[in-house]
Amino acid sequence: MSHTPFILASYLISTAVLLWAALAPVFNKRGLLQQLKARQARMDKTQ
Amino acid sequence: MNPIYLFFHKTGSPPWFYRFSGLLIPWLWAGFILLTAIGLYLGLLVAPADYQQGESVRIMYVHVPAAWMSMMIYGLMAIMGFIALVWRIRIMEVMVISSAPVGAAFTIIALITGSLWGRPTWGTYWVWDARLTSELVLLFLYFGVIALYNSFDEPRKAARAASLMAIVGAINLPIIHYSVLWWNTLHQGSSIGTSGNSIHPSMLWPLLYMAIAFKLYYGANLLSRARLRLLKQDHRKRWVQDLLAKENQ
Repeated sequence: MSHTPFILASYLISTAVLLWAALAPVFNKRGLLQQLKARQARMDKTQ
Repeated sequence: MNPIYLFFHKTGSPPWFYRFSGLLIPWLWAGFILLTAIGLYLGLLVAPADYQQGESVRIMYVHVPAAWMSMMIYGLMAIMGFIALVWRIRIMEVMVISSAPVGAAFTIIALITGSLWGRPTWGTYWVWDARLTSELVLLFLYFGVIALYNSFDEPRKAARAASLMAIVGAINLPIIHYSVLWWNTLHQGSSIGTSGNSIHPSMLWPLLYMAIAFKLYYGANLLSRARLRLLKQDHRKRWVQDLLAKENQ
């Protein structure tokens, strides 16, 4: 039995999981900052 | 004041923690990338194939460090949870809940890579063996902590409940560790321990590089998540407003 597919799958899945876990807070932060800035701009307009 | 006490005192302040962690994160990522590159080079290209496992031993360079991390992170969550409950330090509450998704990610990696290693070596992807089952229970504990936190509207109440669950769930850690001794398991015992190890240095070094790399990954990811959570919780506070104003300039 060739072990290459198992090794490849292990490293690819690990990379995907680690990337997802690393990028999730980056995208969430971007979204949150946009939301907060938009709110700030709205508040500045009303004042 | 003693500089060490002063450091811990400052760390409890969200604005200071946000600034300090922001400086630390790029270095942790850089260390992670460098050590992973060295670990992968040694593990995939330099280390020999195992005389029994063959080439599938290369899966160990990601499986073993991920399994170590899955247990270490849960242990840290229990310690931080205890500190959060006893001393009511908000940063610790934030660290407990920010650790959970990272720990769950490492547990998923340990389970999947272990399963992919088991197929060519044991002839099966999964057995209800004590080590494998207790590791799966650990994944459910991580999911439980995350679900419990999200079931509350008030973040501090949620963090206290999650901290308590992290402490109670820590009972699973010795079960995972000693499962290979307490029960007859298909999973082999530890090859590395305090009383020495049975691995050749050519295989030990890539394992250690990857283990340190994963610790740096955890540090960087944990701090990124903790910063995000602090921003969310404190978005009406002055320090966040000042931060936003500075970014808008």
